[in-house]
Formats: sequence, structure tokens, C-alpha cells
Amino acid sequence: MDDKKQPQIYNTQKSKWSKETLSEIDYKATYGKYRIRGCATPRYMPHFEDLMILPSQLTRMPIDTYREDCETRTVLGARFATKPLIIETPIMIAGMSYGALSKEAKIALAKASQLVGTVISNGEGGLLPEELENSYRQSIQVLASRMGFSRRNLEVADMLEILCGIGAKPGLSGHLMGEKISKDIALIRQIPEGIDLHSHPRAGDAFGADDMVVKMQQIREMTNWETPIFCKIAAGRVKDDVKIAVKLGYDGIILDGCQGGTGAAPVMASDHLGIPTMPALVQAVRTLEEMGVKEEMSLIISGGITDGSELAKALALGADAVAIGTGAMVAMGCRVCMNCQAGKCAFGIGTQDPELRKKLDIEEAAERVANYIKGMTAEAILLAKAAGKTKLKNLEREDLRALTLEACAMTGVPLVGSDLVIGQGFGFTATNQL
Amino acid sequence: MECLDISCIGSTNMNAAIKDALKRDKELKLINVNSMHNVCAGIIGEGSIIIEDSTGLYTGSYLEGLSVRVKGNVGWYAGDDMMDGELVIEKNTGCNVGAYINGGTIVIYGNTGSRVGYGMKGGNIIVCGNAGRWAGIMAMGGELIVLGEVGQRCGESMYSGKIFTRDPETESKMGDNVFLDVLTEEEKSKLDGLFLKYEINAKSCEFQVIRPVLSGRHEYKLFKPDLKPELAKKYTVKRG
Repeated sequence: MDDKKQPQIYNTQKSKWSKETLSEIDYKATYGKYRIRGCATPRYMPHFEDLMILPSQLTRMPIDTYREDCETRTVLGARFATKPLIIETPIMIAGMSYGALSKEAKIALAKASQLVGTVISNGEGGLLPEELENSYRQSIQVLASRMGFSRRNLEVADMLEILCGIGAKPGLSGHLMGEKISKDIALIRQIPEGIDLHSHPRAGDAFGADDMVVKMQQIREMTNWETPIFCKIAAGRVKDDVKIAVKLGYDGIILDGCQGGTGAAPVMASDHLGIPTMPALVQAVRTLEEMGVKEEMSLIISGGITDGSELAKALALGADAVAIGTGAMVAMGCRVCMNCQAGKCAFGIGTQDPELRKKLDIEEAAERVANYIKGMTAEAILLAKAAGKTKLKNLEREDLRALTLEACAMTGVPLVGSDLVIGQGFGFTATNQL
Repeated sequence: MECLDISCIGSTNMNAAIKDALKRDKELKLINVNSMHNVCAGIIGEGSIIIEDSTGLYTGSYLEGLSVRVKGNVGWYAGDDMMDGELVIEKNTGCNVGAYINGGTIVIYGNTGSRVGYGMKGGNIIVCGNAGRWAGIMAMGGELIVLGEVGQRCGESMYSGKIFTRDPETESKMGDNVFLDVLTEEEKSKLDGLFLKYEINAKSCEFQVIRPVLSGRHEYKLFKPDLKPELAKKYTVKRG
């Protein structure tokens, strides 16, 4: 018998068998089902941080950061609607439902929109009257579930979002766990109290694009061609989806990348469905340009956008505005514990518990979200001015360079230094091309 | 009664013309509709409209207050998101009729396709003929009455609301998360009242009612293996 002492073996830390893998297997072995989680995917995704903005030097003049203006006013949905949406910063507050969020959090977000002059989306599950009272501009989502939705919602909307999917769980229905279906939520959503809600996965009044053509005529008539109508889609087959949205006659598209957050989604869905925000945006812009409608069709991008650099880069790539969700929650105090589905949010944001809700000071939270949006806009302005722009929307793809080969290949933006373009250039006629 | 020839008006101006005509006369007749879509969509106010032939998609959607009677057949999604009023269809309909209705009454004297009352939240839908599969699926309120046969997965995952049926095979055709029950006296008298109003030859005592489960939690089959061990053992593939 070999009496040699077994040497200590260390396996690589990148082993498949991480504690995360083990815990996921343990969960399935215990319950025989998949796990539901809040917020967005924790996976690394290529994002706007892989791009850099080129400053103005001898080729163009910088704009004074502190003494000269840079316009941020944004007009959205002017393609066919006679009353397009005008907001003062190209940052909208994304649709987060009353149910996923507490009443206090919804009111705070609406008040923040009033303070900075932007639009807030109601999310799934009805329109909270206090949200409408306090919002600067109100976007109403028309979802497959139509919970709490009626003709009255169409009448008060400054913008409509026909929702096909969200980045965190495209192709899936809405989830709201029974812990969060309080008496008030049940009332507004028109469902029983305490039930685990798995809402309608697809619209019951339009099966596919052919029906949607007729449906659009109906909604246009209902809104007297005044309200801008957007299509909210999760990033997947972006090229085809954008083409269909254009043909259907929408005024704009809200494109949600796979880094988008939610109140509850199966882990599998948020980690493995959809494509990231940045390449999705490029595909959408390419398609709109190919169709010759880039100037008339508004494009709002969302999914993992948190600061002014991402806003500036998104605008430079061709977006007209961005939507923020998790970022706004963090501004209110959320620490992204990713346990929103449990309804036990210690900060009174993602909960319906009356005691926990008391922890959120509406006025303070509203001010913090407004400050966050102001600060984020100021960051984008700083970058735009440094690039020599007097309007945020004048940022263009020529102002960008890619830091990584991956970002270069995904976006068609030239690589820093070599100006190498991999694949199809995105508005660049590079001589240095692979 | 004013008569509008829709073939002379065209689809773009049709509902505006109907609204104008209703200001002049509360009783309106539409002729030569030729299965056009969105007929009477979003019409609001008082009055009654008779459509002499068949209509296409979204007939009477978002209807509020009016009574609309279609003498022919209607296409898909009729009465979707309806608020209030009455939509009476004398013949058959396509699928998804009465999707998401908030209130009012839809009466179909013929048969209807699948998913009638999809996600309905209020109001009444009466189907005098047969209903296709998934009738009342994920309903959140309202009452669906089917006099003929119901299709497979009837009432699947209803959150609230009721489906009244006299199909003897209902129990084998119901969806998940619902159960079959007897009618209360109040429900019986409501049904009899509706039958009397719309001249339907039926009696409430013949009906049963499908209700959503009372436990408050739905159960879903995420994956349930269909085990046939003996057959699996005998399974062979013939090659060559």
C-alpha cells in the first residue's frame, strides 16, 4: 500500500462547479422547478463601456462645459401622431408596475418625472391614480394581460406602449408572486388577493403582425391620431422585428436589451433569452436607416443603462432616448439584492407590506431620482460638449471608437488606435477593414 | 332610421361617419359593410345600430353605451375591450370574441371560435351555439354562458369570473385550476333574466358553473413525464 501523503490539489477557480452552480442544482433538486429572481441578469454582457467618445481638439471646437448651452429637449413619436411627446431630458422612467413596486415608490417616480420634465410608464397592472396625478407625462402600457386597463387609460395617455415583451423575460408572461398581491393590488389588477400571478403571455386581440395592422387602425381611431404609439419589444431578432414595427405604422420603438430588469423572472429567462442592449441598438438603427425611416421613427433604448456615458453613447449610436428602471430604484435606496419577487424589500420599494412601505419617504425618494436623472443628463451633456456638440442629439457614431475587438465587430465602430473595422462598418467607410 | 351605405364611405372615414350620423339619428342602419374591419370600433354614446351584413375584425371593440346588432357573421376579436352596451351577433363569429371586455353584453346566436372571453374582466357573453377551445381562458371577471358544447381546456387558469355550461361532457373538457359547481339561486335568476331578454330558449336549471379554484394558488405543469415503461422497453428502431 502506497503510504505517500496525498498532495493537496487545487482546482481552478473557474471550475464549472462554482457555488452558484451548486446552489442552482440544489434548488432544482429540492423543488423540481426553476427559480424566480428579481432585477436583471448578473451575467457579463458587452455594453456601452466598451466604446469611447472622441473629444474635440483641432478638428472641432469644444463647447464650454459651464457657460454654454447644450439642448436636451427631446421630441418622441412624431411620425404619425399629431401630438408627439416632448420631454426635457432624453431619459424616461421605464415601465415598472404598481404591484412590483409599492405605491410610495410609484408616486416618488412620478414626482421625479415632474421635477425633471420627463415621461413615466405605468407598467403592467393598471394605472395608479396618484401616479397620473403626479407625473409630468404619462405613458400607458397596453399589455397582453390588460389588467386594470380600460378605455379610460387610453384617454389620459401622453404616449402608448403596445408591449410585446421585455428584455428580462422576452416571450414570457408577467410574474407577480402572491406575497405581493395585497388587497389594493388585487383590486387594481382585478385578480384575487394572494394568488401567484402568471399573466397572459400574448395579446388576445392580435395574433401576429397581420392582425396588428388592423389593430393599429383601431387604436389610431381611438386616440384620434393624437397620441404617439410605440411598440415595446425585447431585443431578439431585432432586424425583423423593427421592420415589422415600421410597416405596422408605429411612431417609435422601445427596444429592451437583455440586461433589462424586472420584479420577478425565471433565472433561465433573464440569463439566456435575448441579446444585449448595445448590439441590439446598432441592429435597430441599421434597419431603420436601410428602410429610410430613421429620422421619423423614434427609438428608445433600455436595458442596463445607468449613467451619462451610456446615455451619450446610446444617442451617438442612434437612439433618441433611453429608459431607466433599476437605476431609478437604486436612486430611491434599492441595493439590488435581487430578491424583489419575495416582496420583502427592506427599503419599501419592491414590497406591499404596509410596515416596510413606511420606510420609503416619498418626497426624499422623488428628489433623489430627480437628482439622479439631472446628474445623468449633466454627465451626458459634459461628454457631448467635450465632443463639440450644442445638442445632445447631435452626438453621432463618428464620435465613437471601440475599445475591444468584440465591441468593434458588434457595432461596426472602428477600433481605437488602428481604426480597424471588423465586418460591416456602421456608417464608416474604413480603408482598414476585415 | 338613417341608413349609411358603408361601401360609399370607405374604411378610413367609416367610424367618423357613424358618429356624425348618430348625432342626427339615434337609430342607424349600416348596409354594404362587406366584412370591413373595425366597424363601430370605439363608438360611444346612446343609440342603436343595425348592421345588415357581415363584418370583419374588431367589430364593436371599445364599444361604450350603444347597442349594435350584426345580422351576419363577424370576424375575430369582436367586442374586444368593450366597456358597456350591447353587441348582438345573429350568426357565427371567429375566435377571441369578447377579449378583455370590461362590461356590457355580447350575444352570439350562432357558434363561436376558440378563446371566447379571453381575459374578460366583466360583462356577459352568451354563446347560443358551440364555443371553441380555451373558452374563458385566464378570465379575470364577468360571466360567459355557453348553451352548446364547450371546447377543450374550457376556463383554463381563470382568476375570477364564471362560465355557465350545460354541456354534459364539461368535466372532461375543463382546463386546469377550475372546478365545476352548482348555480346559486341568484345566478339562476340572473341567467333566466338574460334568456328572457334575448329570447333564448333555455332554462338556468339545466346549467352548471365553472369557477376558478378557491385555494388562491394556480398549479402548472412545467414538465410532467408521460411514463409508459412497458411501451418504452418494447421500443425498437428498424434499420436497413
